[in-house]
Amino acid sequence: MQGFIVSLVIFTSIFAIFGLGLNLQWGFTGLINFGHVAFMAVGAYATVLLSLNGVPLILAALVGGGLAALLGLLIGLSTLRLRADYLAIVTIGVSEMVRLVALNEEWLTRGSFGIQRFPLPLANFSPTLLTRLVMILLVAGVVALGYWRLWKWLRQQVKQAPQSVLTRASLAALGYLTSLSLLLYGGGVAARQLKAANVLPPWLLGVGLLGGLAAIIGLYVWLAQRMSSKMSGWSTGLLLVFTGVLALLGFWILGYALSAIYNYDSNPSKTGLMVISVLLVALTYWGLERLVNSPWGRILKAIREDEEVAKALGKNVFWYKLQSLMLGGLIAGIAGALYAWQLTTVYPDNFQPLVTFNGWTIVVLGGAGSNAGTLLGSAIFWAYQTVTRFILGDIVPLDDARLGAFRIMVIGLLLMVLMIWRPQGILGRKEELTLGR
Amino acid sequence: MDQQLIQLLVNGIAVGSIIALSSVGLTLTYGILRLANFAHGDFMTLGAYFTLVINLLGVNIWLAIALGSVLTIGIALLSEKLLWAPMRERRATSTTLIIISIGLALFIRNGIILIWGGANQAYDLPVASALDILGIRVAQNRVVVVALAVLVIFGLHYLLQNTKIGKAMRAVADNVDLARVSGINVEQVVIWTWVIAAGLTAVGGGMYGLITAVRPNMGWFLILPMFAAVILGGIGNPYGAIAGAFVIGIAQEVGTYWIPTEYKLGIALLMMVLVLLVRPQGIFRGTL
Repeated sequence: MQGFIVSLVIFTSIFAIFGLGLNLQWGFTGLINFGHVAFMAVGAYATVLLSLNGVPLILAALVGGGLAALLGLLIGLSTLRLRADYLAIVTIGVSEMVRLVALNEEWLTRGSFGIQRFPLPLANFSPTLLTRLVMILLVAGVVALGYWRLWKWLRQQVKQAPQSVLTRASLAALGYLTSLSLLLYGGGVAARQLKAANVLPPWLLGVGLLGGLAAIIGLYVWLAQRMSSKMSGWSTGLLLVFTGVLALLGFWILGYALSAIYNYDSNPSKTGLMVISVLLVALTYWGLERLVNSPWGRILKAIREDEEVAKALGKNVFWYKLQSLMLGGLIAGIAGALYAWQLTTVYPDNFQPLVTFNGWTIVVLGGAGSNAGTLLGSAIFWAYQTVTRFILGDIVPLDDARLGAFRIMVIGLLLMVLMIWRPQGILGRKEELTLGR
Repeated sequence: MDQQLIQLLVNGIAVGSIIALSSVGLTLTYGILRLANFAHGDFMTLGAYFTLVINLLGVNIWLAIALGSVLTIGIALLSEKLLWAPMRERRATSTTLIIISIGLALFIRNGIILIWGGANQAYDLPVASALDILGIRVAQNRVVVVALAVLVIFGLHYLLQNTKIGKAMRAVADNVDLARVSGINVEQVVIWTWVIAAGLTAVGGGMYGLITAVRPNMGWFLILPMFAAVILGGIGNPYGAIAGAFVIGIAQEVGTYWIPTEYKLGIALLMMVLVLLVRPQGIFRGTL
């Protein structure tokens, strides 16, 4: 369990970094980058190949990020002067080309055999108690900082509502969520029994499950709509309960993570990678928050909303777009280095276009133009991945390949539904974005 | 000329005619509906799978392709009703539409895997011997594919130039608002655009299944050559798309004479980037 949580934290962090890069390009600048995985692939391969040839890991990862940024420069020079949709087409093509090169240039990348046994960071590191305590403090500090910001944000959200309304709404929301999860859990258990008993034909069970799920979702959406019109402070109450649940979950995971650091020697490379990735997420988040709130970031947002206005103010739109594309590429390249270290074997198949669209789901779900939203999106996405991988197999009457397809179908559906009904995602600010109009 | 080169040229013409059929659909939706539809390749796959299902019931392959394209048109109209019409109503930006189309692409492709599985499949066809034309061996299917493509293209030309709906489509592609005030029923034009786009694409998919295996990724891998053909020919210009498709298809196949087959896609990409750098409006006049 501990190893599993550590690996989950690493994946979430890597995709948070990956998503932050995409959020800079799409969320803040409005660039449709459908080939984000190309930056990741370049970063991963460059890091691995350089470190195999004796280059220190940090330097290798930095060079990987730099090469990814260079790729961004090449793509940008050819398409950023043109209409927005050309960028989408060219980036998707470039990402497939990068994968094809990785697949076919066997002298460089060993093709589909993949690269194994490359150096991993902190793999032979055996920290003393003091070092481990420092690491624990660092990770706990980052998390505490996150909680502090969450607390401040929550305070601001509930400022207007009076205490009594808030309590009533929170209790109602708690009941709503508890009943929903009980209902889903009960349905899941019942379906598992049915599947194990093998009394129903698979297709009937599948249709029944889909119908039941649709009915539950429909009922609860209807309930939520009714409550929000009848009860004052309903949405604030729901927000409070949600945040509470998330915070508790976070504490639970933090417990595992910290105990993993304390028992560092039991799994040195993964634990070290977890510490590195968590710190890198914090660093990237902090740096990007500073950047997007600087004059530079405001110009990016202006370009996203209306290029002509930015141009009329004398800004070199092309140059700013190029910077955004390259910086986002650099961030994704670093995420690629972490990805390679986490996978410990790098295959061209790890860099399918689907990875890009997973990143898009993370950004759109969390909220375009909100860095905190991207972090939340990555957490939700990996929760979804984990839950569906380990629970759905017992419930749904499908073989593995079809189950995988079904999970991706849900992702596609989610992307469509979000863009239609909630283009600002969970945390994006609707009044600021013209994306949905 | 080298024997192998001619063989590649023939292959290129066959692939080019399939890309031509499907990229006409793409250029029409792009130019008339202002939708860069990344799910277009997956409509093509859908056409191939519908054809496969009907064909395996024992129906003649050509009839199966026709019926398959009718079913695909149904799905495309459903997507118009559920997705594109409401989004156009809200005046959604083209970037929003692109992201929705990616979601739709993932949904359709994985829906196909869910229903029919991920394995390669093939039509139930009588074995036909290859034709021998001046020493070049050409599979019969490829000849039929090219002939059918040419036939469909002439049909499209007649439709666009001589029928009322074709003229209305060209008018809407030029300027929606102007077309609307001059009394053209834009909603009807939209429906017809989908019928033609999805129908041609599904026929292309059905025929692509004749010369390769039917597999869930077949259309997705063609989306880049299709976009390349559309951009090469000027967005919204069906004749340009056809010309672009033949250029791309032939260049991709003939190019494998000098570079490894695996990098075919790179040729399409390179040509597209070159066109974007030198003449971004396309070789012919587009509507966008």
